[in-house]
Amino acid sequence: MKAFGKLHPVTLLVYFVMMLAFSMFLRNPVTAGLSLLGSIAFCCTLTDKREKLEDLKFYLPLSALIVLTNPLVSHNGRTPLFFVNGNAFTLEAIWYGVFIAGMIAAVLLWSKAYSKIFTSDKFLYLFGRILPKTALILSVALRYVPLMKAQAARLKDAQKTLGLFSTGSIADNLIGTVKVYAALVAWSLENAVETGRHMKARGWNAGRRTAFSTFRFRFTDAVFLAVFAAAGTLLLLAAAKGTLYFGFYPAPTPLPTDPISVSAYALFGGLAFLPFFTETEESIRWTCLRSKI
Amino acid sequence: MDLLTVKDLSFTYPKTEHKTLDGISLRIRRGGFYLLCGYTGCGKTTLLRLLKPELAPFGALAGEIAYGEEFGAPPAPHEIGMVTQDPNEQIVTDKVWHELAFGLENMGLPQAEIRIRTGETAGYFGLTDKFNSPTAALSGGEKQLLSLAAAVITNPKLLLLDEPTSQLDPITAMTFLETLARINRDFGITVILAEHRLEEVFSMADTVLAMDGGRLIACDTPKAVCAALQDSRLFPGFPTAARLWKALGAKGEAPVNVREGKALMREACGEKTLLFAPPEKEKTDAPAVLAAKGLWFRFAKDGADVLKNLSITLRQGEVFSILGANGVGKTTLLQVLAGLRRPYHGKIKLNGRELSAYKRGALYKNGLALLPQDPKTVFLKDTVRADLADILITQGCKKEDAEKKAAEAAARMGVTDLLDRNPFDLSGGERQKCAMTKLLLTEPAVLLLDEPTKGLDAFSKRQFVSLLRTLSAEGRAVLAVTHDIEFAAAVSDTAAMLFDGELLAAGTPHAFFRGNTFYTTAAARMARAHVPGAISVEEIAEAIAKAIAKAQ
Repeated sequence: MKAFGKLHPVTLLVYFVMMLAFSMFLRNPVTAGLSLLGSIAFCCTLTDKREKLEDLKFYLPLSALIVLTNPLVSHNGRTPLFFVNGNAFTLEAIWYGVFIAGMIAAVLLWSKAYSKIFTSDKFLYLFGRILPKTALILSVALRYVPLMKAQAARLKDAQKTLGLFSTGSIADNLIGTVKVYAALVAWSLENAVETGRHMKARGWNAGRRTAFSTFRFRFTDAVFLAVFAAAGTLLLLAAAKGTLYFGFYPAPTPLPTDPISVSAYALFGGLAFLPFFTETEESIRWTCLRSKI
Repeated sequence: MDLLTVKDLSFTYPKTEHKTLDGISLRIRRGGFYLLCGYTGCGKTTLLRLLKPELAPFGALAGEIAYGEEFGAPPAPHEIGMVTQDPNEQIVTDKVWHELAFGLENMGLPQAEIRIRTGETAGYFGLTDKFNSPTAALSGGEKQLLSLAAAVITNPKLLLLDEPTSQLDPITAMTFLETLARINRDFGITVILAEHRLEEVFSMADTVLAMDGGRLIACDTPKAVCAALQDSRLFPGFPTAARLWKALGAKGEAPVNVREGKALMREACGEKTLLFAPPEKEKTDAPAVLAAKGLWFRFAKDGADVLKNLSITLRQGEVFSILGANGVGKTTLLQVLAGLRRPYHGKIKLNGRELSAYKRGALYKNGLALLPQDPKTVFLKDTVRADLADILITQGCKKEDAEKKAAEAAARMGVTDLLDRNPFDLSGGERQKCAMTKLLLTEPAVLLLDEPTKGLDAFSKRQFVSLLRTLSAEGRAVLAVTHDIEFAAAVSDTAAMLFDGELLAAGTPHAFFRGNTFYTTAAARMARAHVPGAISVEEIAEAIAKAIAKAQ
């Protein structure tokens, strides 16, 4: 289990909501850059070599596409570089494209980290309090997915040796697949009825029920939440006062460097790199501890 | 008053005339370990389900079930635990801890109490390592242990188990049954266990309930039930020691395990060692149908080898069985031989031609057929009739002809009265027969069987053995991978063990089983000192009878 992921689901949810919101709504190149770097650093601790490579293959072309398309559709800006069909291709539009690309990449990477960290049981735990029955049904459904996948594979194998899928033609494959899936549906209905009876036999729907979870709210969670609350309030105040504002068109406004803005950058940078630091600290500590074993 | 009293209980399912339960009366003592035995369809499951109010089937009920004063009225769900055959249909949630907590959550217990009870229960059942695992990642044996743990965690007064080990291999099954016996011993929870694999479980129980045709035909200690039922049609499914005792004249108390069976042998033979010559089989030089040479297989590029330089030859009319522990690659071997998975090295030839040389369809017509471990996956339609016709149509048969042919095939296999049933509603033995009927419609030269006796009772098993002998007499080759040693001993021409990716000690069953200590029949274990070489009750009895005749 990853160190950051060991935090309480509430703490994690607050963090991810905050990071996503600030990455999307703070129109400032410094915060956008920090958010992107922080999310990259975090994702690096979560993925293996192959996945990193695949991510590169996805994010680089996507970003390049955004950077290039923006000047094609937006002709604002004071510094035209050249003209396409009589429309200006401006430097400012390119800068704005870079900003948007960075922002989108950051939002996608934070979402990726969210899906890696926020596993189904955490989701169930949080929403189980509000909608206990829905949460249980989700848990049952989640159990069904691997079960059905395995059964589909078994059915397909069994039917292959009985002559289905044998000619290799598209029509034959299609007929075979339809037959197998029809049988799979029949099987899962049968299974679901029996599971339902077993749920009843084990006291489901017999009265008031508790929603048990293995999560604990620790002291660290309280500290983290307090930090989040303080940092979030300060950033919101700064944003509300408009000190963090940065405009791209028609010409870039000067980068805000007043004390409030600088402290907001520092605060936001700290937040963005928090998961990365937690992970690194944990892995360093673990290496030290392991050397004592 | 007893824990549970059943008085004159009869039950008829809707739309049937026949009484599934017919006048059952019994009293269940507190803390007892009851074994409920009988063939498939004798009413075991119906009786057990009637004892658990939430699972009770619909139908016409007569008679009375009275629960003791410790139960609520009616008994609450958590007071009676139930574990059934199929590990997959009784697990409800996606995580092990949640499955353990499920019953307690439903009782509305506080978080702190659930936390400690799931923890200690996981410890007791050895599930600590799996506590945070998804339930889908557990093995079959672990799933059944989890179901048992989830039933015990609510402190039930009564545990009902309906053939809980029928989908498990013998070693995992023993672990499960021993855990069950421990629960009975440690906590005094009353257990009623329905089983048809009686070899080991018979001596665990303190009372055996035997059912036949909806009636309770015996209810007594294991030894007394052996004596009472020695002439009934249930007896062939009883432990080997008891069958040996009957074959030797049924004198004194019946032995119910190998240890007592050995004592019986000593009594019968004294210090003498009797001669036993295993039946000579002429060496066949029938042509090889399926031949594999130097197979190497692994699932992933950097995974471990599952098959290591494995070679096997299957001759026309040969029944070949492969034994081996769980996870040793038996199923994988069958899938490789069936052409479902490709070995990275080695050749497989069917009738002298490599598998890859067959066009995709040709391999499975008059060629190979595979009976998978779960025969449910053989069926696609909602009646057996439609299913049999379907495969004929796939093979290019006309619709009218297909129905006729299907009916003929069913008649040949004796499953005509099952034709209009849903394959899911059949019993294990019936489903097996229908699956074989479907497989045989492809006219296979080689039948590959994966654990074919899983979940079959003694009666269906004997029928299955004779079916395989018939098929082999027709010239078909059969390769069965199995855990079932008694079955392998009864059916094979050749037996071998799969271990570490290789086949060990391929030979006639007599040669194979006499040399083994663990992988051998209960009869061979009893016979070892006095009639070395014998592997079945009949052979031991014959050798002793010969010796007696000679002495006179």
